Amino acid sequence: MSLFHLRTSTKRKLKSFFTVPTIISLTVLVVIVVTAVFATQLAPHDPNAIDITAMLEEPSSTHLLGTDKDGRDLLSRLIVGSRITIISAFGVVAISAIIGIPYGLVSGYYGGLLDQILMRISDVILSFPSLLLAFIFVASFGRGIINAVVALGIVYVPMLARLTRSLVLVEKNKVYVEAAHSIGYGDWRIMLVEILPNCISTLVVQMMLDIGYAILDLSAMSFLGLGVQPPTADWGAMLEDGRIVITSAPLVALAPGFMIIITVVTLNIFGSGVQAYLDPTQRKLPSLRKFRRLVGAANVR
Amino acid sequence: MRSYTLNKVVQYVIVLVATSVIIFTMVRLGPTDPVAVIVGGKQTSPETIAAIRHDFKLDRSPVEQYWIWITGMLHGDFGTSFEYRQPVGFLIKERLPVTAGIVIMSTLISVVIAIPTGVIMAVKQHSLLDTGISLVELILVSSPPFLTSILMIWMITVYAPTFSFTGTSQTFWEFVQRIFLPSLALAFSMIALNANVMKSGMVEQLHSQFYRVAKAKGLTRTKIVIRHCLRNALIPVITLLGIEIGTLLVGSVLVENVFSLAGLGSILINAVQKSDYAMVQGVTMLLVFVFMTISTALDLVYGLIDPRIRLKRGTVA
Repeated sequence: MSLFHLRTSTKRKLKSFFTVPTIISLTVLVVIVVTAVFATQLAPHDPNAIDITAMLEEPSSTHLLGTDKDGRDLLSRLIVGSRITIISAFGVVAISAIIGIPYGLVSGYYGGLLDQILMRISDVILSFPSLLLAFIFVASFGRGIINAVVALGIVYVPMLARLTRSLVLVEKNKVYVEAAHSIGYGDWRIMLVEILPNCISTLVVQMMLDIGYAILDLSAMSFLGLGVQPPTADWGAMLEDGRIVITSAPLVALAPGFMIIITVVTLNIFGSGVQAYLDPTQRKLPSLRKFRRLVGAANVR
Repeated sequence: MRSYTLNKVVQYVIVLVATSVIIFTMVRLGPTDPVAVIVGGKQTSPETIAAIRHDFKLDRSPVEQYWIWITGMLHGDFGTSFEYRQPVGFLIKERLPVTAGIVIMSTLISVVIAIPTGVIMAVKQHSLLDTGISLVELILVSSPPFLTSILMIWMITVYAPTFSFTGTSQTFWEFVQRIFLPSLALAFSMIALNANVMKSGMVEQLHSQFYRVAKAKGLTRTKIVIRHCLRNALIPVITLLGIEIGTLLVGSVLVENVFSLAGLGSILINAVQKSDYAMVQGVTMLLVFVFMTISTALDLVYGLIDPRIRLKRGTVA
């Protein structure tokens, strides 16, 4: 193959990746992540500075989005809140990946009794309605964002483990695995160096979508007062602050609510864009993803 | 058939026992001392503490406590709440109607809206209408139910201030009125899922052989869709509804909170915050039980209706 050919084919591949929805969603995501990273520098005011002379103010030149019930600058809280929301969502997915991927690898690779036992354990975790297990965890270990992240991380393990397992089951019968066996590679080397790289793209897409669900679930926890504790700003906790004053100052609740929706929608669009690029035969509607998660949970029973 | 049913029932019992063990151990793993929760920060003599430990059976061994809890629940005795010092079963019974009402009503609303929407999306696939609905659905899925509830409250106070949605209810009609908005908020997130499943089922039906045969025989499209395709396409939607019960039970906790309704949600969250774990374990076990019972029952009904499911799943399990 000539260099020319190679170049056009990469070009075409890139073209199929950069569709309009993917570009827009990627831009929005980059903006959100950059804001979260430079939150403290970007925030015009101290997000926790209480000013009782400026409670529930309308948007003005000093407070671009107005103030909340304690006179704190809403825009600053929104910006600083994005950091904790996004970091904790990443934390949830990281925990589920660190446990779930090896779990699925071992289960799918070894099969047999070990697989049976591991899958029954994940069945039991899946039989808890979503978030309920996280509630129990927090009831026992106390409120706080770290406990909420750990709890949700554990709740997210079975889905990722199941996905990994199903990918491993397909891969492990392929010729390259047989070749690796005959060279004499160890099991762990085959799992991590040979099989895992072939599954990673699907897993990354799933993890990206999981970040969206983690944002939703974490905001639910914070909203109920089980996650982030005041006065720390977080979109879920800000929603709870805004709920009380919704009639007098709707923006206090609408702004964080809007941010949650935008972030999750763009993650969904971008995730399905990446998925369509990696696997053009399986173009599916983004919201169908969640259905697959649910049905995945049901079929195993 | 018998082996399929037996298999399902055995699995159901095993999972229930396993979840009860998990709930029981998890609430006790943490550092919180139940006596401190019961006493509530008051100065108490060691004798009172000993008496409390005896009353709440905290002086027994964990295995004994588990046994008391499990056998008690079979008789409807869920233990005594640490905070309210009342039977958990009584507190649950008082608040169950609201939660059950919201779950049932939101299921109804989502079905009533999702099925026609899904059919329209399938019939008009790839049209502007289809894309438009998909986009709205994506936003609905990405909006947590408590956010939708807050938006609803805001819009009602602005546009329809006369509509009453809080407070206690005396008549059945008032009760329905109280739970209507929370149910609607909860239904929104389910509509998108149900409509999508309906759509993909319907698209499959529209490309089937029998659709073509019916068309060739001269039936109108509307007639084929309503009388023949709809029935087949509904099956996956009903399966999904069974799974969604779990999501709805927890979702109900969230929306009850926003609308300040006295359902299971408020006592569960309060118990979680106060570490009242007699209450936490009672309510969570009940929710898991309801969820598992409904989905197992649905599985069994499917096995009866459709031999393919029975055979396929029977061999796997």
